[in-house]
Amino acid sequence: MADYVGIDLGTTLSGLAYLKPDGNPEIVPNADGERLTPSVVYFDSHEDVKLVGSAARDGGDPDRTIFQIKRHMDDPEHLVKVDGKDWTPAEISALILAKLKRECSRIIGDINEVVITVPANFNELARKSTIAAAEMAGMKVKRLVNEPTAAAVYYAESQGVKGKVLVYDLGGGTLDVTILEVGGDRIRILTSEGARHLGGSNFDELLLDAYGAQYEKQMSANLFSDEKHRRRILQATEDAKKMLSKLQRVNDTVANDANSGIARIDLTRDQFESMIRNMLTRTVMLVEQALDSCNLKPSDIDHVVLVGGSTRIPKVKKVLEKMFGQTPKSCGNVDECVALGAALFAKSSARIQEVCNASYGTLAMVYNATTKEEKVMNSVVIPKNTPIPCSNSQIYFTSEDNERVIEVDITQGEDEDPRFVDVIGRITLEVPPNRPKGCEIAVTFSYDENQRVRALVVDKQSGRSREVAVNYKGAGVLSDEELKRRTKHLSAMRIE
Amino acid sequence: MFKKVIQSISKSLGGKPAVKPATKPKSGGGVLDKIAKGEPLDSGKPKTPEELCEIKKGMSKSDIHARIKLLYRRYNRAASSLDNKTRHEADRMLDAIVAIREKHFGEI
Repeated sequence: MADYVGIDLGTTLSGLAYLKPDGNPEIVPNADGERLTPSVVYFDSHEDVKLVGSAARDGGDPDRTIFQIKRHMDDPEHLVKVDGKDWTPAEISALILAKLKRECSRIIGDINEVVITVPANFNELARKSTIAAAEMAGMKVKRLVNEPTAAAVYYAESQGVKGKVLVYDLGGGTLDVTILEVGGDRIRILTSEGARHLGGSNFDELLLDAYGAQYEKQMSANLFSDEKHRRRILQATEDAKKMLSKLQRVNDTVANDANSGIARIDLTRDQFESMIRNMLTRTVMLVEQALDSCNLKPSDIDHVVLVGGSTRIPKVKKVLEKMFGQTPKSCGNVDECVALGAALFAKSSARIQEVCNASYGTLAMVYNATTKEEKVMNSVVIPKNTPIPCSNSQIYFTSEDNERVIEVDITQGEDEDPRFVDVIGRITLEVPPNRPKGCEIAVTFSYDENQRVRALVVDKQSGRSREVAVNYKGAGVLSDEELKRRTKHLSAMRIE
Repeated sequence: MFKKVIQSISKSLGGKPAVKPATKPKSGGGVLDKIAKGEPLDSGKPKTPEELCEIKKGMSKSDIHARIKLLYRRYNRAASSLDNKTRHEADRMLDAIVAIREKHFGEI
């Protein structure tokens, strides 16, 4: 049995790594001989089989092929309908994880418990969906760990660096930035910030627009009219993007599916860099936000480390070099280091000081003594980036006479404006009658090493209290019974 | 707009929950106040990036810088909200924030 296993469940590629007896992590190939498995699922119509990986990506009916499901893990309304059955993003992800588990366990033995990586800014639903996916695939999730944290652990272990390290992880679907401090054998995470829908697949889509525009100019026709052909062209744009990381100019020939003729596509690296400039500016702003979060300047960073396939784009390196005044270093194999780091993390999590992924607080009527105004605000109890484990309390007062029920809305998010935070739970506490307003209520949140959050509400006068595990149960979260049913269903499926 | 959160607040208020903090609220609410009272993004005619980000004529560079930093932090977080509509609006705001940054501080 493999004791320490890490899985990078990526937007475009997924990988599984384990810790060898000598303590070094190693990627385990799938049964197709690939070190990384494309995160694509194909529902075959002839045989009752679900294809996962390259076979799914490279052919077949686009209506039955699911790409980039990770982008929808936080969307409770996203369902994929195939042959009359609705599949949730967690179920599709479970098929990918099931292939990895089944095929890799033939090489390294049974896989029961795993560390899975997630983007730093994955919300509660996306994190729960990832855990549910693993359970459906027959694995227990020991820990979820942020992708850049895993990559940083691998980099720190393999390069033996010390000091402050900034990890810039630009993958297929998301950007994550983590700043950490390495000293001796200890790693202290200072902050992890993430940006959603910002990655290589966004760049592919921009190139697709460019292909379409050039085709239309030359042929006076649309380049594609259906999803199947669009997918094929999208694959070509991804290849062009990769070539533009090595060459200044690429040429391609494309035809549409209506025999309108063949057009010659001509693209330069400058044009490509201009197309993605808006997105790269967003990445710079995330780096600035991460630095601000730890009160650091670019000059305080000792090492800038690149992770993720999209960091092969020369402009990415140039932008970071200009910002930090140093050449960023590549994290070895930028595509594999997240999975390798996750395997290392599975064993060494005790040596790694992590921080809260998000702020937790409550909605409260806040009185401004200067303006005499009252308004509902998000009152943070545990700020984001607080080292964990931690426990923080805030004292509040009842605002009305004879309040019988105290309701505390549990929020996730750092913004003071309640419109920009998520309400992920509520605690209700009944208190004695006939009391004047102004009674003290203590609200305590605690966050443990396993990223579990608990909330405790104490009515100071009566001593009554209520404690709950903060557990998001909103739309999109499967019940325990439903999870068991779907796990059983998936275990009987043929997945290749 | 943001029905989920507003409903939750209304329910809390209706149930008279709550609670006032013992300490004074954090300062720095000037900008936040304006945003909290601002119109929804999709409330009328298309707005310029300046209008969306509430960048007024005569604002100093440092004020603009502070403003877009605050907005970036807010809307980048909102892009991962549990609320679909909030996520969609966050994307529009992030484009506007980048446009303001490029206009006032140059391209990367």
